Amino acid sequence: MLRRSLIAIGAASVLALAACGGGDDKSDSSGGGSTAAASKLIVIITPSPDNVFFKAEQDAAAAQAKKLGYETLVLSHDDDPTKQSQEIDTAISRKAAAIILDNAGADASVAAIQRAKDAKIPTFLVDREINKTGVAVAQIVSNNAQGAGLGGTEFAKLMGNKGEYAELTGKATDTNAGVRSQGYHGVLDQYPDLKMVAQQSANWDQAEALQKTQTILQAHPNIKGIIAGNDTMALGAFAAVQAAKKNIIVVGFDGSPDVVSSILKDGIKATVLQPAGKISEMAVDQADAYLKNGKADQPEKQSVDCVLVNPDNAKSVTNFAVATS
Amino acid sequence: MTDTHVASPPKGAAAPEPGGPARNPALARAALLLLRGRTLVVLVLLVVFFSAISSEYLTQSNLILMTKHVAINAILAIGVTFVILTGGIDLSVGSIAGLAGMVSGGLLFKGLNVPGGTVFFSVAVVILIGIVVGALVGAVNGLVITRFKVAPFIATLGMLYVARGLAQLHSNGGTYPDLAGDPSRGNTGFHFIGVDSVLGIPVAVWIMVLVAIAAVVVTTRTPFGRRIFAVGGNERAAILAGIRVNRVKIAVYVISGACAALAGLLLTSELGAAYPDTATTYELNAIAAAVLGGTALSGGRGTIIGTVMGAFVIGFLSDGLVLVGVSTFWQSVVKGAVIVFAVITEQAQQRLQSGLAKHTA
Repeated sequence: MLRRSLIAIGAASVLALAACGGGDDKSDSSGGGSTAAASKLIVIITPSPDNVFFKAEQDAAAAQAKKLGYETLVLSHDDDPTKQSQEIDTAISRKAAAIILDNAGADASVAAIQRAKDAKIPTFLVDREINKTGVAVAQIVSNNAQGAGLGGTEFAKLMGNKGEYAELTGKATDTNAGVRSQGYHGVLDQYPDLKMVAQQSANWDQAEALQKTQTILQAHPNIKGIIAGNDTMALGAFAAVQAAKKNIIVVGFDGSPDVVSSILKDGIKATVLQPAGKISEMAVDQADAYLKNGKADQPEKQSVDCVLVNPDNAKSVTNFAVATS
Repeated sequence: MTDTHVASPPKGAAAPEPGGPARNPALARAALLLLRGRTLVVLVLLVVFFSAISSEYLTQSNLILMTKHVAINAILAIGVTFVILTGGIDLSVGSIAGLAGMVSGGLLFKGLNVPGGTVFFSVAVVILIGIVVGALVGAVNGLVITRFKVAPFIATLGMLYVARGLAQLHSNGGTYPDLAGDPSRGNTGFHFIGVDSVLGIPVAVWIMVLVAIAAVVVTTRTPFGRRIFAVGGNERAAILAGIRVNRVKIAVYVISGACAALAGLLLTSELGAAYPDTATTYELNAIAAAVLGGTALSGGRGTIIGTVMGAFVIGFLSDGLVLVGVSTFWQSVVKGAVIVFAVITEQAQQRLQSGLAKHTA
């Protein structure tokens, strides 16, 4: 038993040594900004690609990195900061050139990103911010507040500025859930005749949104509209509306392909598109520039505006991007 | 102080028997009856409580809706009860439900690629395939547990991850957004099981009733049912009595997997879309329903009816909390407290029961 584990440990060590032998001397000697220039590996870490939004984000980052001649390692932290921390350790031990990260928590991610920085690996954040500056090289997010303003305005217009509505909010621990809800209410609360009769968290989940909407419709049969914090919840809410054979306005957020096709079929009325692909590409481009020049060419905090998607422009939307015409 | 089972009955209320652990058998029996029926008592209390707060709670349409929400968890929980009765546990049912939903959703949405083209199956066949997939995954659970002597907790925990991963692999993480089918492919009508109603009652509820009746008959009226209880009550004795314990065990995991798949199909049908995260953590609700209904996690004791009642308590409670607008956080707190409270009363019932048994002996 002991001998077997010794052999295993030995074998693993040999492999580990062999793997890091090549780059050692270089990364030890150089000290400036573009240390890891020897490595051509970009590590991309996002939440679970179960949600098409993160899938699009991953795919766009990986495609852009490959286009610029990098190797990629794509990982998912499933919104677990511990798992994210381990994955950043993986990036450090693989001596990655840069990390593209959609982080697992505004506070819980800071230490891990700092660790990467200490190992001279620059991190470029996409989609979600962290509560500290100077740790990541860039934080490129879609402007959730602006987007929620767009969604709220469209929802109020569809409702005719009056009537009962319900709101489905995202996971309460996620900053974006709060930002979007505030953005919606920044608009909706200005109309005294728009009355929110129910507000429930459906944790970004489609099935949960379905069941909660059904129950909310029981309690408040006069509801005219439902505004959801993301598209998966909007889809769940719309399934409930359809099952109840009611005519209720549903508005989502994300611009996912499923919701866009629902808009085209006169189902869900509107969503707010976050340019996931564009943000990922920007992050990879800036990582590439940083690695070549040794400094960032953009300010750390950058926000990209969201776009309202409704029947007028839904046709030109593909994979989280609006075709410019 | 030898025994402290009975909640100190007033002395002399009924003929006190000297020295017995249950000093007041009549009262103890009454308490026992109350404890045995506690799931029903809790359910009635819930209904009374919520209808006092909201006039919408006790309406026909809300009762039907809540029962429909219960159906999915009840079907999962019935399957899990079979496993728990043998002294095992099945943590993989939520993932199996998700996998079955994805397999069926994929067959409806994009068909099956075979050499020479794509084949589409009718809805009935798709549903059957989904259930068979669940049963097969259950069979793997059973084989791992019996052949390799892996503890059920570990084996099914592993399957929780494996089946969820397979569900994600199936679509590469994506969603099958439209399961309506196409008349030209002859695969329309999947919404029947999850959306439609027959005689004013949702089909999902009818299915739950059928599954429950079948499960009651199997557990109480067949030799196989008696073997399940024998294995869970005392595995050693069951082996000595000539019961093929491994066969019984594999069978209960197959049943659990099939029930999970059925629940996953109902959920997928209702959503009209299949996504790989479907039914995540539902295994906990299912186990909670079984425990609430008086199924002992140590095996050998429990009823299907109890489990169904447990599912009703959980469903009526969570829907009630949503209906009156309680926040998600409080919903979790209340649900957890109710489950622990149920186990406490379960323990009280056991002590009382053994006290009475000693008393009559």
